[in-house]
Amino acid sequence: METTGMTFTLTRRGLIQLLAATPLAGRARAGEAWDGIVAEARGQTVYFNAWAGSPQINAYIAWVGEALQRRHDITLEHVKLADTAEAVRRVRDEVTAGRAGSADLLWINGENFRVLKAEKLLFGPFAEDLPNFALVDVAGKPTTRIDFAEATAGLESPWGMAQLTFFADGAKLPTPPLSMPELLELARSAPGRITYPAPPDFHGTTFIKQALAETMADRALLPVQIGRQAFTEAAKPLFEFLDALHPELWRNGKQFPQTQAQMTQMLADGELLVGLTFNPNEPANLVATGTLPSSTIAWQNRGGTIGNTHFVAIPINSTARQAAQVTANFLLSPEAQARKADLAIWGDPTVLDMAKLTPEDRALFTSAAAPGSVTQPAPAIPEPHGSWVPLIEAAWLERYGA
Amino acid sequence: MALSLEEVSIRLDGHTLIKPFTMRLEKGVIVTLMGPSGSGKSTLLSFIAGDLTAPFNATGAVTLDGRNLDGLPPEKRRIGRLFQDDLLFPHMSVAENLLFGMPRGQQQARHAAMTAALAEAGLAGFAERPPHTLSGGQRARVALLRSLLASPGAMLLDEPFNKLDADLRAGLRDFVFRHIAARDIPCLMVTHDRADVPPGGRLLLLGRGEVRDA
Amino acid sequence: MARTLRRLTPAQGALPIIVLWALPLAASVLMLLPAIAEPDAWRQLQSHPQLWSALVLSLATGGGASVLALLMSVLVLAGLDRSRALPQLQALAAAGLALPHLAFAIGFGFLIMPTGLIARLIEGGTTPPPWVTVQDPWGLSLMLALALKELPFLLIAALAALARGDGTGRLTQERRVAASLGHGAGSVWLRVVLPQLLPSLRWPLVIVFVYGATVVDMALVLGPTQPPTLAVVIWHALNHADATVNGMGLAMTLVLTSVLAALVATTLLLLQVTLPRLRHWLCAGPSLLAAPRGMAVVTGTIAGLLMLAAILLLALLSVTPRWPYPALMPPAVTFAAWTTLGSSAAPLWLSLLLAAMTALVALGLALLWFETQPEGRDRWLIGLALATLALPQLAVAGGQYRLFLGLGLTGTLPGLFLAHLTPVAAYVLIILQGPYRAFDSRYMMAARSLSVPASTAWLQVKLSLLRAPVLTAAAIGFAVSMAQFVPAQLIAAGRYSTLPMEAVTLSAGGNRPLTAAFALCLAAPPLAAFLAASLLGRPRWR
Repeated sequence: METTGMTFTLTRRGLIQLLAATPLAGRARAGEAWDGIVAEARGQTVYFNAWAGSPQINAYIAWVGEALQRRHDITLEHVKLADTAEAVRRVRDEVTAGRAGSADLLWINGENFRVLKAEKLLFGPFAEDLPNFALVDVAGKPTTRIDFAEATAGLESPWGMAQLTFFADGAKLPTPPLSMPELLELARSAPGRITYPAPPDFHGTTFIKQALAETMADRALLPVQIGRQAFTEAAKPLFEFLDALHPELWRNGKQFPQTQAQMTQMLADGELLVGLTFNPNEPANLVATGTLPSSTIAWQNRGGTIGNTHFVAIPINSTARQAAQVTANFLLSPEAQARKADLAIWGDPTVLDMAKLTPEDRALFTSAAAPGSVTQPAPAIPEPHGSWVPLIEAAWLERYGA
Repeated sequence: MALSLEEVSIRLDGHTLIKPFTMRLEKGVIVTLMGPSGSGKSTLLSFIAGDLTAPFNATGAVTLDGRNLDGLPPEKRRIGRLFQDDLLFPHMSVAENLLFGMPRGQQQARHAAMTAALAEAGLAGFAERPPHTLSGGQRARVALLRSLLASPGAMLLDEPFNKLDADLRAGLRDFVFRHIAARDIPCLMVTHDRADVPPGGRLLLLGRGEVRDA
Repeated sequence: MARTLRRLTPAQGALPIIVLWALPLAASVLMLLPAIAEPDAWRQLQSHPQLWSALVLSLATGGGASVLALLMSVLVLAGLDRSRALPQLQALAAAGLALPHLAFAIGFGFLIMPTGLIARLIEGGTTPPPWVTVQDPWGLSLMLALALKELPFLLIAALAALARGDGTGRLTQERRVAASLGHGAGSVWLRVVLPQLLPSLRWPLVIVFVYGATVVDMALVLGPTQPPTLAVVIWHALNHADATVNGMGLAMTLVLTSVLAALVATTLLLLQVTLPRLRHWLCAGPSLLAAPRGMAVVTGTIAGLLMLAAILLLALLSVTPRWPYPALMPPAVTFAAWTTLGSSAAPLWLSLLLAAMTALVALGLALLWFETQPEGRDRWLIGLALATLALPQLAVAGGQYRLFLGLGLTGTLPGLFLAHLTPVAAYVLIILQGPYRAFDSRYMMAARSLSVPASTAWLQVKLSLLRAPVLTAAAIGFAVSMAQFVPAQLIAAGRYSTLPMEAVTLSAGGNRPLTAAFALCLAAPPLAAFLAASLLGRPRWR
C-alpha cells in the first residue's frame, strides 16, 4: 500500500524494483551470487534467536534445523527467548562493545525492528535478493514490506502473518461480537467477563489500536507519523469508547491481566468470556492441546482487524551471515511455509502468494478447518505508524493507569 | 514456711538414681547436699524446681507451706534458683535484671526496693551498668539479689560458688547465707566443697542412691 | 597442606573472594551509573503516571509482608520454644524455603483466585464468583503470599541464631532462672529470648523487606496491575527495546533502592530510639503469660498446609491441560508437559552442575574469609552482600552483563559460573557469618592443646560442630543458584540454557501445565539439598 506519506521510502523501494527489473544477465549474476552464498554457508552454525513460548513453534524450528542440516550442512541452534527485546538489547550491547554477534538470525517485527533499523544494527538489505522472495505475496499482503508502517527496506525477510483474532467458548457465546460496539453491548450484558491485557503488553496495545481504528473518524491518519496535538484530537472517540467500556469490564476496568497468556488461562478457567490473540490459529492449537474445549470458536471483526507480518532479520555483527540468509530463504520455501501453515503443526498463515506457486506446491497447503479456526477471515488493517504507539500507551496510562 | 519432700525418687531410663526419701527443710535453715558427680544432685534440684525433663522421671511429692507443687510449672512454684553461672540477662542492665522478677506494683516502690538492695549489698550506683562490666563476684551478688527480690518461698542453690576463686568464695558465702537467713525461707544447696557448709548447718550426703544425714 | 592453610595471611585469604565476587559485583554496579546520567531517562521518569503510586504499593507490600512474616515467626517460635517439635519445624521450614517463589505463587494463586479451588469448594455454580483475590488493588494477596513464603526463611534464621545460644546451654539456663523468678513460658520468651534473638534477625528482616519490595515474578502472578508494583514497572522498562526506556528503568531502580535504604535506616534509627521505652515493660515484673502453643501450632499448620496445597496443586496443574470452573477434579489427565520437560535434560544438568559448584565454591570462599580475617572486616563484606540482594536483579545483572561483555565472558561457562556465584556467595556469607563468628574458639584451643594438627582440629572439631549452619548455607546457596533466571539469561547470551531459562521462556507462552511442571522440576533439587542438609546436620544427640 503505497501511500503519499511514504515518499522517502519510495525511492529505496524504487531502487530495488529497478534492480529486480534488470535484464536476464543481471538475474544470472544474482543466481551465481546466491550459489556462492549457499556454498559459504556450509558448515556454519546459525544461532536463531526466537521467542520460545510455544512448544509447537519450538518443534517446528527444530524441524527446520533438521532440514537445513540435511540439505545445506547448516547447524541451526534455537536460542529460546521469552521476549525479543532481549535479543535487541544484546545486539546493541555487542555492537557497542565491538564483540562478535551471539545472534545470527532474529525472529522480529514491529517496535523491535524499528529500533534495530534506526540504530543501523541490521545486516542487509538481503531479503529481496533471496530466491524465494519472488514467491511472496507483496501485492496482496503489503505488510510483507511495511512493518508497522516502517519500510522493511530488505532488512528483514517475511516469515508469517499475524492478525488480531478473538475467541470464546461457542457453547457460552453462540453469537460473537463482530465489532467493537458489539463488544461493548456484550460487556454490558455480561459485566465483568470481558477484558484485555494492560499496555505496554503488545496484545493490549493492539486491542486499543483496533478500537482506535474502529472508532476514529479518519483512518487515513493511521499509517502516518502523528504528533501529540493531532493524536489527542484523533483519539477522542477512542477514549469515549473506552470510558464507556471500562466500567463493564472485569474488575470494573480498574485492574487488567498482565499478559495475553494470562487472559487465555482465565478464559479456559471460565472467568472470562472472550480471549484474544495475534496468531489466528492459536485457538485451534489450544483446542488441539486440550487447553480449550472443542466448542471453541474464533473470529475477526467484520470490518477487519489489525494485522501484520512477522519477519526474520540478521544482526550486523553476525558471524554466519551466509547461513542465516540460506535459512531465511528456506523459511520462505513452499515446503517450509506449508508445514508452518498446517494446523496440526503450527498453523501460522503463509506470506506466499498461491498464484505464484506451482500446482504441486499449492497442493501442499491444506486448508482443513479444525475446531477453533477462524471460519470467516476478515481483511487485515495494517499497523499504524510507529509514532502512534508511545502516544497511545502514554495516554492510556495517564487515564487508567494509577 | 517449710519445704517438704515426701517419698521422692528420681529414675533415669529405668535405673533408680535416687531411692525414695523424705525430708523436711525448715525455714531460715540452709541444708547442704553433697555427693559424687553424677549422683543426681542437680537433677533433684530440677525436680524440686519443676523442670525435670526426659530422660529423667521422678515420683514423690513436693510441698511448700503445705501447698502441693505437683504439676505446677516452675513459674508458679515461687522457688528461686542460683546456678554456677550468674546468668544475668545480657540484654538488661543490673537494675532491669533486679526488677525483672520483682512482683508487680507501684513503680516508685519497686525502684526504691531495688536501689536499697543494691546499696545494702555494696553495689550502690551499679543500677544502670550492663552486666558484662561487673566482676564475677559482683555479678554473683546481683544474681542472688535478683532471686531474693522476687520474694521466693524457698531457694535452691546449684553449686553457686563454683566459678569463684577462694577469696571471693568466703565473702560471697557469707553474703548469700546472711540474706537468705534474713528472708527466713528454707534453702537447699548443692555443693562439692565442704567449706561451703554453713557452720552448724545440716549436711546431707547423697551416695549410691541414698540420702542420709552426715 | 595443613601448614599452608595455617600460614595464610589475611590478604591471601581475602583475595579469592574479592577477585571472584566483590570486585565484579562492585564493577557491575558501577557499569550502570553512566546509564543513569541520561537526562532523557529522568524526564521520562518524571512524566510516568504510575511512578509514585507504584512506589507506595511496593513499599506497602514489602513492608506489610515483612511485618506479617515477623509476627508469624514470633508466634511460632514462642509457642514451640523448647518443644520437641523444634527439629520438625526446622525440617518443614527448610522444605518451605526450597520451594521456588514462583511455584508457590502459581499454586497459591490457583487456590485463592475466583476460579480457584477454594471458590469451587465454597461457591460452586456455573460462573465463578466475582471475588477480588489475586491482583487485588491493595496488593493483599501478594503480601500474604510473600509473608507465607518468607516465614520459613525467618524461622530458619531465628533457629540458627537460637541454636548458637543453646549450644552452650546458656539460654536454657536463662529460661530456668526466669521461670524461677515467676515468669511464664510466654513471658520468658518475649522478655528474655526474643530481645537476644532480634539482633540476629535484623539483616534477615531487611532482606525479606527488600525482596518483598523488589520481587517481580510473584508480583506478576498475584499483584495488581493498575498500578503494578514499581518492581514490575521497572521490569517492563528494563526489558524494552528502546534504550531510553531502559535508562528510565535504571533511574527508577535508583529511586526505589534509595527509598528502600532510607526506610531501612529510618526504621533502625526509630528502633534505637523507641527500644529504651520498651525496657520499662521488660522489667515490669513477673507475668504468667503462657507460651502460645495452640496458636503457634495453628499458624504453623496453616502455613505448612498452604505450601503443601500449592505443591499438590502444581502437580495437578502440570498434568491438566484444562480445568474449567467449577470442576473439583481435573477432567482429563495428560503427561504432555512432562514429556516436553524431558527434552530439557541438558539444561537440567547444567543447572544442577552450576548449583553444586557455586554452592561449594561460595562456601570455600566464605570459610577462607572467616578463617583469615578479623571479625571487624566482616561488615564490608556483609554490607556488599546485602547491597547485592537489595538491588533489583535486573539492574545488577545488567551491569554485570556489560562488564562481562567487555571482558569477553558472555556466552562462556566461566562467565555463567561467575554470574551464578554472585547471589549465591551473598546468601552464603550472610547466613554463615553469625554462627561462624559465634563459635567458641576455646574448642579449637582445646583441640590443639591436645597436640592435634590444626587442619584435623579444624575439620573434626570446628567444622563438625558447625555442620548445621555450614550445610544450611550450602543448601541455601544451592537453592538460590537453581532459581537464577535473570543473570543466567543475560550472561548465557544465547549460548547456554539453564532450567530456569527454559521455564521462563516456556511460561511466556502461558502454557500452565508446562509452567507447573517446570516449577516442580525446579523445586525438587533444592528440596533434596535441604533434606540432605538437615539430615546430615542433625546433632549427634538431642
